[in-house]
Amino acid sequence: MNWSLFFGELVSGLTLGSIYALIALGYTMVYGILKLLNFAHGDVYMVGAFVGFFVLKWLGGPLAPAVTGWLAVAIMFTVAMLACGALGVGIERFAYRPLRNAPRIAPLISALGVSIFLQNSALLLWGPQFRDYDTFDLVGVKSYHIGTNFFISNVQILTISVSIGLTILLALVISRTRTGKAMRATSFDRDAAEMMGISIDRVISFTFFLGSALAAAGGIMFGLVFGQIFSLMGFTAGLKGFTAAVVGGIGSIPGAVLGGFLIGLTEAFATGYLPGGSVYANLYVFALLIVMFLIRPTGLLGSPVIQKV
Amino acid sequence: MKKVVVAATLAAALAVLATAAWGSTKGSTKVASQANASSALVKCGKTRSIGLLAPITGPAASLGQPQVHWAKFFVSNYNKTHRKKFKLVPEDTQLGAANGTAEAVKGAQALGSSASVLGVVGPAGSNEVKATTGALKGAGLGWVSGSATNTQITLDGTRTGFFFRTVPPDSSQSKSVTGYITGTLKLKRVYIIDDQEAYSTGLADEVQAQLQAKGVTVGRDGVSQQQSDFTSLINKIPRNTQLVYLPWQLPPKGKAFGQQMKSQGRAGVKLMGSDGLFDPLFSSLGNNVYDSFFPLNPADKRVAAFKASHKGTELFGAPSYVAAQVVAGAIDRACKNGTATRAEVRAQIKKTSIAASASLLGLKVAFDKHGDMVKKPFGIYHSVKGVFVRVA
Repeated sequence: MNWSLFFGELVSGLTLGSIYALIALGYTMVYGILKLLNFAHGDVYMVGAFVGFFVLKWLGGPLAPAVTGWLAVAIMFTVAMLACGALGVGIERFAYRPLRNAPRIAPLISALGVSIFLQNSALLLWGPQFRDYDTFDLVGVKSYHIGTNFFISNVQILTISVSIGLTILLALVISRTRTGKAMRATSFDRDAAEMMGISIDRVISFTFFLGSALAAAGGIMFGLVFGQIFSLMGFTAGLKGFTAAVVGGIGSIPGAVLGGFLIGLTEAFATGYLPGGSVYANLYVFALLIVMFLIRPTGLLGSPVIQKV
Repeated sequence: MKKVVVAATLAAALAVLATAAWGSTKGSTKVASQANASSALVKCGKTRSIGLLAPITGPAASLGQPQVHWAKFFVSNYNKTHRKKFKLVPEDTQLGAANGTAEAVKGAQALGSSASVLGVVGPAGSNEVKATTGALKGAGLGWVSGSATNTQITLDGTRTGFFFRTVPPDSSQSKSVTGYITGTLKLKRVYIIDDQEAYSTGLADEVQAQLQAKGVTVGRDGVSQQQSDFTSLINKIPRNTQLVYLPWQLPPKGKAFGQQMKSQGRAGVKLMGSDGLFDPLFSSLGNNVYDSFFPLNPADKRVAAFKASHKGTELFGAPSYVAAQVVAGAIDRACKNGTATRAEVRAQIKKTSIAASASLLGLKVAFDKHGDMVKKPFGIYHSVKGVFVRVA
């Protein structure tokens, strides 16, 4: 057994899974409340990565930031999460709310339209070229070795910890706050919640804000770990986030996190161990989705919906 | 019933004949239109047009921009000293973009249908050369690339007489790379990662075979150009690997790979790129970075003039200067009587002979029967303080 390879892929999988988990959370929250697959979510993640990049540039760039590297990272996270939260609210207000009572296919097509709009706007505004986060210059990447086979970098530790931290924070918001209670009530029965005096519009806007802010955090993590961002990065990441949400059980918050880590680990271990893995890792990831649909259509932690007939 | 069967058989036979006849008409129409495009007479006028296919934007823009700058540099130098002028008609190929070679084909079609364009410089990538062959050949255009190095694109015969290049093929590059790895660096364990494109896999195959023939242990893998996460792939590279060879075309990807190697605790492993990674983005990774690149005469005064006017060292585009020189020279000769056809320009490209003293490459530029340069050496470079310096 090559333990160095095993632990290497484990750390890579957890890092990648952390990013997918943050994207999946947005998918699952919106689906839980609106029963809508928000296919523009991957592109919000891309916008978050770019906002972080431009904040970094505004701070003086990775070589000479006006503040210390880690403070610059904290500012990037804050600004990008707020900006993308607002973007998410805007998308919901103008692209989904007018279609709330329309057949379910209408908002789905609207979501695809928003996705294409965001992608092309990014291409127009920022071009198709890669943008460098230059993490080495910004925070000074360090590797920590435990024994001879296990090593992890400070940026990987940051990514995994931020992802877990944000998930715990989200769980607390949903389980311990009034707004969280309203979200749960809306998810359970929107009409009944409205009759109880809950402002559905406000709850939905808040859900989009949270989901989009988490996606923005994922986008910045991608830039920090892999060094580069580009205008079309949201498409595949969005698909994988969606896959993670479905594998975990769409509508379930712990399921989205579990699905994200599972997809990340599948991708990493497929690359490391399966034939042609580095080229066909995505094939294995989406095969997992098909297998999950066949053996457990509701996902790992999803519950079957009982419909009154 | 019998009548129905006979009628059906007759109808089927008729359909087959009609299809065959239509197909043959279509084929002859295609040949006729190619012949028409090749022989259409163009009045040369005071300003002649050269098409330019390059990745002006997109993931490989850092390679495409120098090509555009060098081609423009040639045209501006030429126009200063000649009564007849040239102008470039640029088309963006977006090499490495998600929609593959679609933009390159669109650009080639646009140049083909522009009656004033008599010859083309570019495209940059070998895959793009393959993809644009139909459009450019169909329009009767001769085209000269300053960076497409795949060995087979001249040898497979598909575009002989139409396609030429001012860079040596990968067969020459692979010999230089292998010689340096085994002869100078004396390494025994090498890992090769191709990027799944024709240029990359071809070069990787050649280097792998030559290294193995010299007793070097070679590992091999591939990764898509669309990928940004290399960490899982890096984990697969054996710990005792001394050098990773990357015959890639996108310098930003080369840089990302190098940075992820460092963050995975592999900073000590040497990296060697191919001509596609000959870029400050790749050399900025540090002193354990090597690269192979086209021949160039750094002492040529035009190199100094270019550096001064462009405030940089974008040497990757220098062979595109020579490509523009070749096409312009051919158009000039074909236009002696005031008119020219694309076929005449192609014939003149074939007859090109630029003396070593007039060539930016420091060697005579003339083409063999396949469209390759007769002389074709490759240089090896080492990154010293972030800048590539020639070492072999």
